[in-house]
Amino acid sequence: MSARGKDDNSARGKDDNSARGKDDNSARGHVAARARGSVAARARGATAVLEVDRVTMRFGGIVANEEVSFSVREGEIYAIIGPNGAGKTTLFNAITGIYQPTEGHVRFMGQRVRRLATPWLFLRSALIGVATAIGATISLHVSVLWEQSIGANMIYGEGFAWGAGLRSFWQTLMSTVEGHGWIVPAVGFALGVGAHLALWFGARRTPDLISRAGIARTFQNIRLFGEMTLLENVLVGMHARLHTGYFTSLLRLPRYFTEKRRSIEKGMELLRFVGLEARAGEAAGSLPYGSQRRLEIARALASRPKLLLLDEPAAGMNPTETVDLMDLIRRIRGSSVTVVLIEHHMRVVMGVSDRIVVLNFGKRIAEGTPEEIRNNPECIEAYLGKEELG
Amino acid sequence: MRARSIWSRLLRLDVALLVVALFIPLFDHWFHLGLSSPLRQCLVYAILALGLNVVTGFTGMLHLGMAAFMAIGAYAYGILTCDIYPFQLSFWPALAATTVIGVIAGALLGAPTMALRGDYLAIVTLGFGEIVQDVLKNLESITQGTRGINPLPGPVMFGHRFGTESPYPWFYLYLGFVVVIVIVCRNLERSRTGRAWLAIRGDELAARCMGIPAVRMKMLAFATGAAIAAIAGALWASLYTSTGEPANYDFQVSVLALCIVIVGGMGSITGVLVGALAMIGFANLLLPRTASWLQEQGWVTQASVFGNPNNWKYLVFGLVLVLMMRFRPDGILPRSVGRRAGAST
Repeated sequence: MSARGKDDNSARGKDDNSARGKDDNSARGHVAARARGSVAARARGATAVLEVDRVTMRFGGIVANEEVSFSVREGEIYAIIGPNGAGKTTLFNAITGIYQPTEGHVRFMGQRVRRLATPWLFLRSALIGVATAIGATISLHVSVLWEQSIGANMIYGEGFAWGAGLRSFWQTLMSTVEGHGWIVPAVGFALGVGAHLALWFGARRTPDLISRAGIARTFQNIRLFGEMTLLENVLVGMHARLHTGYFTSLLRLPRYFTEKRRSIEKGMELLRFVGLEARAGEAAGSLPYGSQRRLEIARALASRPKLLLLDEPAAGMNPTETVDLMDLIRRIRGSSVTVVLIEHHMRVVMGVSDRIVVLNFGKRIAEGTPEEIRNNPECIEAYLGKEELG
Repeated sequence: MRARSIWSRLLRLDVALLVVALFIPLFDHWFHLGLSSPLRQCLVYAILALGLNVVTGFTGMLHLGMAAFMAIGAYAYGILTCDIYPFQLSFWPALAATTVIGVIAGALLGAPTMALRGDYLAIVTLGFGEIVQDVLKNLESITQGTRGINPLPGPVMFGHRFGTESPYPWFYLYLGFVVVIVIVCRNLERSRTGRAWLAIRGDELAARCMGIPAVRMKMLAFATGAAIAAIAGALWASLYTSTGEPANYDFQVSVLALCIVIVGGMGSITGVLVGALAMIGFANLLLPRTASWLQEQGWVTQASVFGNPNNWKYLVFGLVLVLMMRFRPDGILPRSVGRRAGAST
């Protein structure tokens, strides 16, 4: 992987994808590989898991992020701090595909995660276009077609002459296309292809794709599935890593049972990892606040991410829980998951992070080790304000 | 994985309901209660509501056009079986084809609309319901307009053709359909697919961030619901040997299905069954019986508008809905968390 940093053009996807997650069927092949090589990673010679490259997020006239750049190395615990409204969560949303950056790019493992325009896409578009064209023609002339093919050949009490019926159906269909009639299928084709491509283009970079590529996250305002059990919440997180399909579940084929057993084992393991296995069968909504935050982490880890984004994991936790959380974050890093966290709680930030970036009013004002940040006058000013003189 | 004894399984409400239902024709036979015949409608509505439950109860999409898919199912069954058309299939192949047509119809409506959220989807499905009715009414050369397609053949089983002489075979067959569809719904609910649906209902954004392709999963739910509704339509048409006029599948039917799901408990399969029994049993069994009883007693005349309980139907439905929303917003039997649900059993 580190070779990619040096060579801009060689990495074109296929090998990257397979290297990233061999068992990830769904994401493979959909994820773009646009490895332009990262300036930051090259400079340091370390592998960058996440690169935020001059990302600007604008909502109408409001600028939430302005040209924010940073890069997170593999195996690092990286903190994003800043006063309220500095655009930290917006940045998370831009990274995870909930928002599209107005300007700039987000790269994960050196590539922008998005769906590629494959030949299969255009083939599918063409097929949908043809189907729409035929559908439009038939539905516009449905009465005539019925009269000519079925009505004309159907005599009550006698068998139906299928050959003659189909022939006259085809002839009538062709006769509708004569003259200016070709406009209908043409418009149908254009609409079908256009609508499909438009929908595809709008969904090039969706949260589910990014999650499947290997970025998991938690939310600032906890978003658990409160009516589901703890175990089920974790199993939802595992969704993309499981393969039981619709008919396998419907018919309860053997594969359903084997995968169910395996996934429950794994889910319980994850719950044990965050210390919640004793309550696996309870509703997630009934958990206390601190445990909900830990469950959210377990759910995020269930998708086997390479990168975990934690949005204020210590918010609302008491001091003991906070210490446990710091330990948990270190253990997550220990299982070769890179962690990026947004946090206000300075003990957590200074205690666990390797590097910190400071945002203020959507702009990056500093980056460095906890020591550097602690002594940076700009950061102190952003948090505490400037001393008024005179 | 807790092993459950046969007895604790029997004590479950859905199994108890099934056992009671199995004896209803017997009681009818002994005591001349005449329950089987109206209860067949109950069963068809239960199937319709189970279909809606997949869309609204599991996945949380407000669907106000379920009757349209029922109509599509009924008319597909009619066109495929009636002897004025060239296809003239018998019951079972026609039912299979109807299910496929339901899936296609659901996918066709779902494909462009699944990106819509909440109210917008409700408006689209509402409009679809009206469009289907109008199309069926005006496409007279194919659908016979307001006359409906008839006569339609009944089911055939083991060489026995179901007729009008006895409602019992119908009752058992339709009960069998309900059981199969309950099992299908339950299997789906307690699987990766069902979990994804429930997650989308709970919090769509969080579900998407967990790697669930929300649009595809919603479409799957929509098509499943459409297929089940189409089956309900086919059974309805076969029960009355006619599709009836398109206005039979109007907005009221959609709302009735929605009421069953809401009253029974969103996402709770047993709840939907109980809801169907309560709502349709009330409307099609209790009210007509009360009406004829009152007339027999000579307390009201047949011409009396206010004295006829049938005319109070929608008032009572509305009142029940208001009271439910006030006192039991999760329905009679809400979906239980934990012990029963999901993979944790």
